[in-house]
Amino acid sequence: MHASLHPHDNPLIRKLESVFTLTEDERQALEALPMQVMVIKDDQDIVRMGDRPSRSCLILSGFAATYKVTAGGKRQIVSFAIAGDIPDLQSLHLKTLDTSIATISTCRVGFIQHEALRNICLLYPRIGAAFWRETLIDAAIFREWVMNVGQREAYQRMAHVLCELLVRLRAVGLAEDHACDLPITQAEFADALGITTVHVNRVLQQMRADGLIVSKGTQIKIPDWDKLKQAGEFDPAYLHLESDQAAA
Amino acid sequence: MTLTLQPIRVATGFDEDGMMVLDRQRLVAVLVHLADDNEVAPGHWYLEAGFGRIDGASHPTFASLDGAQDWIAQRLARHP
Repeated sequence: MHASLHPHDNPLIRKLESVFTLTEDERQALEALPMQVMVIKDDQDIVRMGDRPSRSCLILSGFAATYKVTAGGKRQIVSFAIAGDIPDLQSLHLKTLDTSIATISTCRVGFIQHEALRNICLLYPRIGAAFWRETLIDAAIFREWVMNVGQREAYQRMAHVLCELLVRLRAVGLAEDHACDLPITQAEFADALGITTVHVNRVLQQMRADGLIVSKGTQIKIPDWDKLKQAGEFDPAYLHLESDQAAA
Repeated sequence: MTLTLQPIRVATGFDEDGMMVLDRQRLVAVLVHLADDNEVAPGHWYLEAGFGRIDGASHPTFASLDGAQDWIAQRLARHP
């Protein structure tokens, strides 16, 4: 199915506007960007390491993860992707994918041909710059995650990742106040944080006991945002959001 | 290879019922018995800590102490 989306349904525009002010022409060009929309069930690969894609994937809804796997089969999630993200945007310039991307929950994914992305970058250099900026922010997120996994204790790691997800979800309108839907399993958090699922479970129990999180099903609420930020040593500067309010 | 088990309380802050695993008087691992209402692996034995050849990123859970001992013995035997 080839379709352009209603602007309110296009999280790419919301995402770019969280880091960058678009003109009306630029917004219209983004709205007209042709994409093939597919619904992909949870726990499915969208693209795999070694692929040489001719298109990039825009997450329209749902949660996905970028990951790598060791020779022994152990998975490291290196970042989460949410609505508005194009987690393989780098494949526009780097021909062979060096990571895989899988859905965590059921996702609506818009596949955009590289040719269309190249055209919009040529016609609208500011959009090209915004995409470049997006990949630079992705790199900033990876740097922060290396720090998180390498140097922080498990409790801080979890607090940090929860803060990041909440701020990023809020930037695209998917978190209200300090609550959001977070369909990430404890096993997936374990793969992202470099600890075992048993350890993730203990950390979450401790965080609940400490009043940092309240969860019901996949809904999570942060009763004391400042306390969670403090626990995770979270400074949103690396997300480079345009509005300071997004991280407040 | 003869592994011996010795009960120990482990200050994890959660389940404390544990077992030291010794290989000829040397501590090679500490197992913790997860509670029956644990959300991840109820009633299983969790490799809380490993030393030497048991040290590393792998911290599996085992349905039985026998399974845990077999896994640890295999790891110890892997590199002569």
